[in-house]
Amino acid sequence: MAAFTAVGQADRFGSLLSKKRTGMKRTRYWTLLDCSVLVLLSLASMLHGAMADGKTLVLLDNLNIKDTHSIFFRSLADRGFDLAFKTADDPSLSLIKYGQFLYDHLIIFAPSVEDFGGNINLETITSFIDGGGNVLIAASSDIGDPLRELGSECGIEFDEEKTAVIDHHNYDVSDPGEHTLIVADPENLLKAATIVGKPTSKPVLFKGVGMVADPDNPLVLDILTGSSTSYSYFPDRPISQYPHAVGKNTLLIAGLQARNNARVVFSGSLDFFSDAFFNSAVQKARPGSQRHEQTGNLELAVSLSRWVFKEAGVLRVGAVTHHPVGETAPPAAYTVTDLVEYSIVIEMLSEGRWVPFDGDDIQLEFVRIDPFVRTYLKKNGGKYSVQFKLPDVYGVFQFKVDYNRLGYTHLYSSTQVSVRPLQHTQYERFIPSAFPYYASAFSMMTGLFVFSVVFLHMREKEKSD
Amino acid sequence: STKPGSDSLFGVLLLSLALAGAQALTPSHHLSLSDVGRLQNLLNQPYDDLESAYYSVVGLTKLGAAVPDPAEVCQFLKSQLDPGSVDSLFFAAETSKAISGCEIPVSNETRDILLAAVSEDSSMSQIHRAVGALSSLGLPLASQEVVGALTALKRGIGPITASRLSLQAELGGILEEIEDLTARLDDLGGVYLQFEEGLEATGLFVAAAYSLSDHVDMELPLKEDQVIQLVNSIFSKKSWDSLSEAFSVASAAAALSNNRFHVPVVVSAQGPATVSRNQPTLQLLVTDVMSQPLASASVLVESAYALASKSTVLNQAPFTHNNGVFELNFMSSKPASGYYQFTIGVTGDSRLVANHIELKVKVSTEVAVTNMDLSVVDKDQSIGTKTTRVQYPSKAKSSFTADSHQNFAMSFQLVDVNNEQELTPHQTFVRLHNQKTGQEVVFVAEPDSKNLYKFELDTAERKSEFDSMSGTYSLYLMVGDATLENPILWNVADVILKFAEEEAPVAVQPKTLYVPKPEIQHLFREPEKKPPTVVSNTFTALVLSPLLLLLILWFKLGANISNFSFSPSTILFHLGHAAMLGLMYVYWTNLNMFQTLKYLAIIGGITFLAGNRMLAQKAVKR
Repeated sequence: MAAFTAVGQADRFGSLLSKKRTGMKRTRYWTLLDCSVLVLLSLASMLHGAMADGKTLVLLDNLNIKDTHSIFFRSLADRGFDLAFKTADDPSLSLIKYGQFLYDHLIIFAPSVEDFGGNINLETITSFIDGGGNVLIAASSDIGDPLRELGSECGIEFDEEKTAVIDHHNYDVSDPGEHTLIVADPENLLKAATIVGKPTSKPVLFKGVGMVADPDNPLVLDILTGSSTSYSYFPDRPISQYPHAVGKNTLLIAGLQARNNARVVFSGSLDFFSDAFFNSAVQKARPGSQRHEQTGNLELAVSLSRWVFKEAGVLRVGAVTHHPVGETAPPAAYTVTDLVEYSIVIEMLSEGRWVPFDGDDIQLEFVRIDPFVRTYLKKNGGKYSVQFKLPDVYGVFQFKVDYNRLGYTHLYSSTQVSVRPLQHTQYERFIPSAFPYYASAFSMMTGLFVFSVVFLHMREKEKSD
Repeated sequence: STKPGSDSLFGVLLLSLALAGAQALTPSHHLSLSDVGRLQNLLNQPYDDLESAYYSVVGLTKLGAAVPDPAEVCQFLKSQLDPGSVDSLFFAAETSKAISGCEIPVSNETRDILLAAVSEDSSMSQIHRAVGALSSLGLPLASQEVVGALTALKRGIGPITASRLSLQAELGGILEEIEDLTARLDDLGGVYLQFEEGLEATGLFVAAAYSLSDHVDMELPLKEDQVIQLVNSIFSKKSWDSLSEAFSVASAAAALSNNRFHVPVVVSAQGPATVSRNQPTLQLLVTDVMSQPLASASVLVESAYALASKSTVLNQAPFTHNNGVFELNFMSSKPASGYYQFTIGVTGDSRLVANHIELKVKVSTEVAVTNMDLSVVDKDQSIGTKTTRVQYPSKAKSSFTADSHQNFAMSFQLVDVNNEQELTPHQTFVRLHNQKTGQEVVFVAEPDSKNLYKFELDTAERKSEFDSMSGTYSLYLMVGDATLENPILWNVADVILKFAEEEAPVAVQPKTLYVPKPEIQHLFREPEKKPPTVVSNTFTALVLSPLLLLLILWFKLGANISNFSFSPSTILFHLGHAAMLGLMYVYWTNLNMFQTLKYLAIIGGITFLAGNRMLAQKAVKR
């Protein structure tokens, strides 16, 4: 399924990476000579942070969508995205040229497309994601095959064409008659502020096709689910087989952060992003429901776009230092049971700038094949640090920070050090049980000395006596 | 065997379907009242130059809204006017025309500047603005000259300049120009028609074209579908980027709702297009694109048929006009619940465009659950089953227990409250919700031929869907349909399910990808247990005793060092000897072998020489 590997990353930033590599080689050399440590930084997160606000290709069913969804596009343009609008069947479309990606981000607001134009197809889009590109996709009940297949590639199964998410208990008062204009409660949002924004009480309007997540793909995020009473089926046909999605399994909006930190968001509804839904009032048709003057669509759409286009939830590793407590520089090799202080700087992208990250669940592992120690890092000024006693096992170890949290890019840092056993002078010298041995040795030595003195300088008595 | 009657019915149906196909295009976008309000708010912004004042004031008058404080506007115009600039004169003149009682003073030089601008050497927009200013200021102009200048410039005429065609001259030829421009419009999916230059150009084109057509009293060469497509594309954008864009939309809205040839009709249901016993009348709003009611219209249902059975229920039934709302009591024809396709005609004005509308009307009803029986059935049927009847909306008093040898069964009927008929709603789901884990399992209940819903849960067979998690489940019945006014979510009973193998179910792997891992503390090796020190101390004493014995015996035997001479070699030898022994101790505690050997070489060398000399002296003495 979505086994995107970080290998693709290398293609994309070939030149950059090779520069890094030579740099690293030098470090390693230096490491061997000076017996210092090798520092591996999370390259991907660093590169991506610098890339936010990039070129974006917007594929539309027709150019009128630019007008009907103008608020969303304007908010993107205001945040510095360079949007190129094209119809999805434009024959001049192209994502990759001479092995280079022409765009950083891709928006597909073309639910009904049957065939992309130009050289865009399922393979190029998947390789775009494999190469670290971010994609925002909005479908609708007119969903065409290419989007369904793209969903399958990412572990998301769309329901069939002409189906819609139906909820007879939570539809809006302005529903045109099929109970497909759904009011989604904010409680059904994923609990991750970096993805969905600050918690709000404003419900979200949704009209479109349902999805289910592939249970075998742990990377799929259920960003917005239907309520227990929702289901996905043809609104105009009696239910003759088990619906594709039922209850809370019905995904309205799903996301994916691949292993290379590329982000993909699927919305079952194109209308979700429309000016009409942004400006609409919302009220469940159920008697006694509260009326909200405005939907939460705009806030959610903006948060989602911030997340998917790497403006939010991007972390990087800064300086990593470690040394024995009481010293300032790392030794050539640590000795077992040394007390060691490790510290790491972690930064987060916020409003285009790198600011110190604030997290309380960052863990440090001390690993030799398996982790020997795993402990929480404490925030200490601008960096995270911890003191701990090295295990009484020697070998080649790594200090490893592997921070993978919902909504954030995968942060990984590993620093290799060697730990050696005690020198013979470092063992305990005076063991009480061994005193007889010490005493015998020292008495021998004393005896030898005294004897040598006496033997050499004794005056014998006169034989005549 | 089909009867002739049903044949003719089919004929009517086919005809109506064909009509539906032909008239499928109706305006899908217009300005709702709230849109008009937002547009007005946008136009009603404070302005600080003549151009913005023009867009704001003229735009507001197009929408039929009052211009706030006309005297101040007039003052503003006079203060900002630059009599030497055609643009400035145009904006001021048009704005002053829009607010009554504001006169812009004109000098002869001004007039000459404007007249001079109307020539073949000027750009199209300069001519337009000059002519606009002249006519708004009430100054005479030579129409033929204008047409001549325009004709000379005709090549490369763009849609923006086309919007400036509303001139006061004989312009029959320019009307043909509009046809050419229409051909340049982009058709987007058969729904939208617009210039690639954008919304502003399209809006201005529509406004100008209709003003021209009114002026020359000739119908525009636009097809009905094209008018509707233009409406869709102009009014689909609900959030306007700039004042000029808002102005163009306002101008287009004014032109489309008030001209002599084409007035697109927007028919919408007041509230949802739904009738029920409580709300038997279908209420329609018939408006122009600005949501202003078309009072002169009369509305007629040309035909209406049920979508499910395709049977016609209404023919040529008129709506009654009541306070701006057109009403029809549809429930009087006793329709069954479901969807009905209405073909509605709006007449009363020859200008109406898109006056045959297809409308899907819903007849909704209320549902009741009856005869809800719950039972637990043994698979081998050896024990008679005991059924429990539960009344909506209460919950069964006792909970039901089903183990792997039993089935849990449920049967019920769904009836229409209004006519006691059985219903088969779209959604009849049975939901089992594990109270502890929150897991939910949903089954679809299906009706038999007598519309009796039966749901049987085979505990052994359905094990996997519950992940073999035994426990208490809340049983819910969910009934819903778009035609039901009262969807049902009923907690019917609690069911305790016991699955066969109580082997610890494989814990469902939660998404542990994003949570902290458990902490690991390294377990250090325990130091070995040491024997008691008494033993070692005793043996230490024993080990030391021979040295003591030696000293005592020596003392008895009269050992002495009387021959000791304080020569340097002697002292050096013994010090060196002691130092070597001391070095052994330091080697044990601190030094490594190489350091030790180094020190030993130094000390050993000195000691050797000193010892040699000492022994030599001793030998001489003897």
